[in-house]
Amino acid sequence: MEMMRVNGVEVEDTFAEAFRMWGCRVIITAKNQKWADTAAMEMTGFATSVIMCDCEAGIERRLSEDETPDGRPGTAVIVFAHSKKTLIEPLVRRIGQCVLTCPTTAVYNGIPEEEADAMLDIGKRLRFFGDGYQVKMRLGDGWLRRRRFWRIPVMEGEFLIEEMLGAKKGVGGGNFIIMGVDEDSTLEAAERAVEAIHRVPGVITPFPGGLCRSGSKVGSRYPFLRASTNTPFCPAIKHTYPESQVPEGVNSIIEVVINGLDEASVRRAMAEGIRAAVEVEGVRRISAVNFGGKLGKYQIYLRDCLGGEAS
Amino acid sequence: MMELRLKPKVSGLSIPLEAEVISPDVVAGKTLREVEELRVYHGNRVETLSEYFEVEGEVAPNPEEQLIIVEGDVSWVKYIGAEMTAGKVIVKGDAGMHLGSRMTGGEIIVEGSVGDWAGAEMAGGLIRIRGDAGDLLGAAYRGSPEGMRGGCIFVEGSAGYETGTGMRRGLIVIGGDAAPFTGAHMNGGVIFILGRAAKRLGAQMKGNGSLIICLGEVEELLPTFVYDTTYTPTFMRIYLKTLSEKLGIKRAEEYIGRAFRRYRGDRAVGGDGEILVVERG
Repeated sequence: MEMMRVNGVEVEDTFAEAFRMWGCRVIITAKNQKWADTAAMEMTGFATSVIMCDCEAGIERRLSEDETPDGRPGTAVIVFAHSKKTLIEPLVRRIGQCVLTCPTTAVYNGIPEEEADAMLDIGKRLRFFGDGYQVKMRLGDGWLRRRRFWRIPVMEGEFLIEEMLGAKKGVGGGNFIIMGVDEDSTLEAAERAVEAIHRVPGVITPFPGGLCRSGSKVGSRYPFLRASTNTPFCPAIKHTYPESQVPEGVNSIIEVVINGLDEASVRRAMAEGIRAAVEVEGVRRISAVNFGGKLGKYQIYLRDCLGGEAS
Repeated sequence: MMELRLKPKVSGLSIPLEAEVISPDVVAGKTLREVEELRVYHGNRVETLSEYFEVEGEVAPNPEEQLIIVEGDVSWVKYIGAEMTAGKVIVKGDAGMHLGSRMTGGEIIVEGSVGDWAGAEMAGGLIRIRGDAGDLLGAAYRGSPEGMRGGCIFVEGSAGYETGTGMRRGLIVIGGDAAPFTGAHMNGGVIFILGRAAKRLGAQMKGNGSLIICLGEVEELLPTFVYDTTYTPTFMRIYLKTLSEKLGIKRAEEYIGRAFRRYRGDRAVGGDGEILVVERG
């Protein structure tokens, strides 16, 4: 396989195979950052991969008081699912169980209607929790952008949620893998990559801390298991697994998975992540996971992300 | 915007002039000559606009680009901007009854005060009144089931009796005091009162999100409004920010984070509207 070099590190001339997914940005605000983060972390739990989870979700970034509709600290969360239809249920359940229950929180739409491909009636569904005592809040009728909210009485006070949340066609499964000489350098490179990625708007890294140490392959030798460990990239079996793709000198590999609200954001995030990772001593090679182009709609070439950059 | 100026030739007519033609929708696309010939009604006589106003300036091809400036006091002119859909009207003085009634879009600014029925049954647009408003601001006409259905009216001064009667949607902000029966028969919509709210507030208010927010003193609440709790609702921040950012009412920000007493009613008619009164001290 051809290689290019970035900061002296080999970058394979390959592509990340990504998929069409629908994404919804949810803005959570609370009395302070602590509670906004708490709700966001609860809401994005167990949402790493649609292989076993109902959605893929992550925290996009914190929002300052100037950036939120109610002037309180906030946290932006993005939730992804295969389709518009399959996005609704996880949103209703997660907001209902993890945000509505969290003290002082409120939920607002994070994708304005003019930028959205669809508006999902999440708040409208959750309003029934008010058991008839919910109150519709109207804003802007006939003079500003029309907005609707629901005020739901709860024991602590009142939960406020916007009636419709915007969703758009996004990209899931952007990725690259970092191959290093040992666990420490690989982890450090991956951590730096995630830090850089989170400076890009519109993307999340749904795995723990943004990192996936156990990349998976489709299928397994067991008929009951539809996905299993990514054997070609497991250093522990590199000399015993016949089709191992682990280069000599590499003893640890971590995958960074990126979902974004559009392809351009995912590309940019991949580039920022790779550039940060190759700064760490001990990183030997950067590659990406794909399925030979057979499954995903998007083939995001590393060389294109990096703009052919080599040094 | 293209500016058309109307200078009054007379003042203080004892019989008011009905001039709904003072609207961007009516004048846009016409020549100045045609604008001068527009019909106005003075008592039982049909006359032309030029008999009462000097007309000068430019006429826009469509209402969206049309600005009409009425110079001076026209408290004797009724229906200015009535049923307008777009554009802008500025009255550099007082204006008469029915200003902006049934309007659906655009903006009217009155630098003085307005007579009764301003913004009656309006469904969209923005009316800014620098002075005071008469009775029945944004109200339903007699026999009509619904008053204001959308848009925003901001009165910097005080408002008269029965403001927002039968209101269904939209926002009314009263910078000063509100006379009795404000929000009577409301069935939706929001009224902010920054000054003193008089008696009979929200009388026979129904529900459907009807909301009166009192940031000043309340003279007396009807006994058919039931006190629920004192709390700091998050939604209030949205409204107060809107008042500050979209209407320029900076003092609204002082109430962000303040506690409010919540009353529900009017139980006399089984209503579940709300009156929120800011907690003092």
